[in-house]
Amino acid sequence: MMQHYDVIVIGGGHNGLVNAAYLAKAGKKVLVLERRHVLGGAAVTEEIIPGFLFSECSYVVSLLRPEIIRELDLPRHGLEILPLDGTFSPMPDGNHLWRMNDHAKSIREIRRHSRVDAEAYDEFSKMMTPMCRFVKPMLSMVPPDPTTLNPRDLKQLHFMMQRFRELSSDERYTLIQLMTMSSADFLDQWFETDVLKATMSASGIIGTFLGIRSPGTAYVLLHHYMGEIDGAFRSWGFSRGGTGAISNAIAAAAREAGVEIRTKAPVGKIVVKNGRAAGVVLQSGEEIGANVISSSVDPHLTFEKFLEPSELPSDFLEGVRRYKFRGSSGKVNIALDALPEFKSMPGDGAHLRGAISISPSMEYMELAYDDAKYGHYSRRPYIDMVIPSLTDPSVAPPGKHVLSCFVQYAPYKLAEGTWDDQREAFGDNVIDTISEYAPNIKKIIVGRQILTPLDLEREFGLTQGNIFQGELSLEQLFFLRPVAGWAYYRTPVDNLYMCGSATHPGGGIMGANGRIASQVILKEWKKPASQRGSNGAQAAPEPAAPAARSAKESN
Amino acid sequence: MPIGQRVVFIGGGHNALIAAFYLAKGGFKPLVLERSDVVGGGAITEEFHPGFRASTLSHTLGPLREDVASDLAVEKFDCEILRPDPRVFAPSLTGQSLLFYDDHAKTAGGIARLSAKDAAKYTEFAASLAKISGVFAQICAITPPSIDKPSPEDLWNLLKTGRGVRGLGKYGIFDLLRWGPMAVADFVVEFFESELLRAVIASRGIFGTALGPWSAGSTAVLLLRAAADPHPVGSATFSRGGLGTFTHALAAAAKQAGVEIRTEAEVQHIRIKDGAATGVVLASGEEISVEAVVSGVDPKRTFFQLMDPSQLDPTFALRIRNIRSNGTVAKVNFALGELPAFPSLAGTVGPDGFRQSLSGRIHIGPEIDYLERAFDASKYGEFSAAPYLELTIPSLLDPSLAPAGRHVVSAYVQFAPYKLKKGTWDTRRKALGEAVIKTIAEYSPNFADLVEASQIITPLDLETTYGFTGGHIFHGELALDQLFTMRPVLDWARYKTPIRGLFLCGSGTHPGNGLTGASGANAAREIIRELR
Repeated sequence: MMQHYDVIVIGGGHNGLVNAAYLAKAGKKVLVLERRHVLGGAAVTEEIIPGFLFSECSYVVSLLRPEIIRELDLPRHGLEILPLDGTFSPMPDGNHLWRMNDHAKSIREIRRHSRVDAEAYDEFSKMMTPMCRFVKPMLSMVPPDPTTLNPRDLKQLHFMMQRFRELSSDERYTLIQLMTMSSADFLDQWFETDVLKATMSASGIIGTFLGIRSPGTAYVLLHHYMGEIDGAFRSWGFSRGGTGAISNAIAAAAREAGVEIRTKAPVGKIVVKNGRAAGVVLQSGEEIGANVISSSVDPHLTFEKFLEPSELPSDFLEGVRRYKFRGSSGKVNIALDALPEFKSMPGDGAHLRGAISISPSMEYMELAYDDAKYGHYSRRPYIDMVIPSLTDPSVAPPGKHVLSCFVQYAPYKLAEGTWDDQREAFGDNVIDTISEYAPNIKKIIVGRQILTPLDLEREFGLTQGNIFQGELSLEQLFFLRPVAGWAYYRTPVDNLYMCGSATHPGGGIMGANGRIASQVILKEWKKPASQRGSNGAQAAPEPAAPAARSAKESN
Repeated sequence: MPIGQRVVFIGGGHNALIAAFYLAKGGFKPLVLERSDVVGGGAITEEFHPGFRASTLSHTLGPLREDVASDLAVEKFDCEILRPDPRVFAPSLTGQSLLFYDDHAKTAGGIARLSAKDAAKYTEFAASLAKISGVFAQICAITPPSIDKPSPEDLWNLLKTGRGVRGLGKYGIFDLLRWGPMAVADFVVEFFESELLRAVIASRGIFGTALGPWSAGSTAVLLLRAAADPHPVGSATFSRGGLGTFTHALAAAAKQAGVEIRTEAEVQHIRIKDGAATGVVLASGEEISVEAVVSGVDPKRTFFQLMDPSQLDPTFALRIRNIRSNGTVAKVNFALGELPAFPSLAGTVGPDGFRQSLSGRIHIGPEIDYLERAFDASKYGEFSAAPYLELTIPSLLDPSLAPAGRHVVSAYVQFAPYKLKKGTWDTRRKALGEAVIKTIAEYSPNFADLVEASQIITPLDLETTYGFTGGHIFHGELALDQLFTMRPVLDWARYKTPIRGLFLCGSGTHPGNGLTGASGANAAREIIRELR
């Protein structure tokens, strides 16, 4: 007798687990299926080198939605966020820029570089606050469909327009710029200090295959700025025990709510019976039934691997094929038996407890991008480093340390050779780069783990190694994510939903995707199956199909 | 209704002439003040070498927006508009080449030699572009709405545009939303597989901008251009005698309508009293008091050179300063001993077709990566060693431009940054010319030997000699953040300025996109409403 669940969640990453937890809290019988031996997806901690716990992929907590922490009572389930204080940017000339969470201190530091910038920095922070306030509500809303005359969508669009009109002229000016400009051009208007602009603009390229001079990156800058805005360091920090501890806390909350979780249970295909998702078949051949399938993995896997092309409308499939992943970053995790000594600030100190950013100049950042454009990893990459073991000794043996390096750019498609034969060279290149700022690095390395975009794809199921399950570029955001007309967590297959980072509002450890998806699923639960899951309106040509109309109006 | 007011136009460029024309028709007394000895601004014809004349700067027309064209009827003022077919010839280094005709089927025939798939897609592409460009044409014709107090007309315009957009259907709308912010390199990949075709289409998204094909947002520029001409490669519109003839015809039309035009009358200062423009002061010291001033020159020049910025509201001044207006285009005009040969043509048309094939625009930039690399250099303050070029040989259609049997080749050169990292434009000028000749020679081996003389116009020349601040031929970058309600700056995108009686009508205003006259015509509409 085949097992049967209300909901099967594909993928035990943070979004999948959040999604499952909320569904179970609503009384559904939920099963989470994780391909790997460990939960968390890209939010995972593993002991790769004996005694050293690596947050293999995602390494800082940024945007984890406060409402999720609250509603799932994550602290009780072991979530503890430790402060990540500031960003330290060493420079080749022996100088540095060290911004701290203490705003006053940062301004003093910036004044060392430029008085003008010190003042501008204050204004800048003041201006970014209303920007984030404007965007934040959108992070927890189902994007409206701009193409229907459906009252509900029009209302939402009108609501957004109203909020825009309520902004002051200066706020509008800045918001439009953030939505359209390159982070370099945007910051050029505010600051003159190269290293300051370079370091700030860095957050505008993460997860994209764009350079800091490409329009669209200013939005990503805002996307990452939002975490910091939550005030306090709560939102930018480490979680004790590594990033995996976040996933484990969510998993604990899910289990408490009754969720059943199976690891080493890779899904082979999604079973579709007369146009409706009815269950999954594991690679082991085992079949499990469910009323609803919620997929937290990316659209490529969900629709091109787990489903047959014949089971999807061609225009949707085309949209899925067009969806841009092209991973642009790698990760190098290093086990150290001492601390790195930075030329510009030798010795231990608070500067090692925050982020250490190798982003000495705008030109440096742009050159790094140019290499990637033509299929080569950056000869001198942008590196964002953290040493969690300083804040959380539990992740390394006494006196030893973990150095986690996020590296951009590393294009998934190489012009020459394969990642398998360039992996070590890539790792060496990263360490050479670091040694230009911290010469002792080579002598203190105990071991290292190199994750190329190819490894992220193979090991963590991130197609083309994109850490956000798809580029955060303007044409892939909000009502265009992941596929225009399908930004509503629904799919053309009835009873099949999406809840991963490939949906609005995108990547980062937010959990918002999983939470909103659970709300959509629950909303549609009581509807006749014919109106559940797929949003007919999005598939059907004008006028919107009646099924979808009723689906929307009835809620 | 104080009709008969005197309105002074600063600068005799095409937009100013067109706006002045409409004001005269509206019963005003426009006076156009041009600092040089000829009107035309960026659209002029000059003899750059004994016996050789060329359209010094801009070498093709937008073309003019239809209503503007029919209102001014330049043909009536002995300006013959020439429309060669094919419009574009695009050679590659592999001996292949493409010709783009008015007739899409004919073009597709040539494309089929590169890819049957692309040939089929091409007509489909042309159709979807035509569909979408309709909406953009609508948007280019309206005055950007006021966000705070939309007038009934604004709402009506928005409604009309909205209807136009809805007319595209669900997928059309989503395509529009998707394409706008996209990199043009990604855009062309959605349609085509052959690199040469991709590059020719994509170049339309980067011409005159500080964007490479891989820069997001470049597709918006392409769509904006499609509004002026939905043809996939845009138009190839010339005027006999060079573009100078065209602007002279505009001037003639304006004069006939009652516009007074004075050349060699450089405005040095705009007089402002109690926040209102009261007159202009000429370099000669002469003062002209007026009811209104309309500036056809770029916003930065208008507010920072022609008046004391301290008279401006700081926020407004800051936004004007923030306008990105550093040019990336240089212009080189060559005098040639004879017609250069393009061997790759042989594989495309018969010898009898050579001259015709070369009489439109010639696109040099065979691959997306080629265009991107050309852009890369400019990011670091260097001009491209292998630039993206657009050539025209106007003497083919109009032999009067060069001595018998000889020819004029006009080249847009991209990318040439306004600010050089090494040296100055005066020391690097020659090197730029050499890079251009070397690049052309790759496609036309005998070109170098044919060059008798050349005129090299750097972005710095564009600023100092022709008055384009930052050397930007469009008076400001065409980018998502500087279009529509943001052009020239938010809150002041309606041709009015914070200075009462001072208006803008140049390319720095919406839509500000080449020689279409749209900015001038839109501005005139608003100015007349304001002054009545």
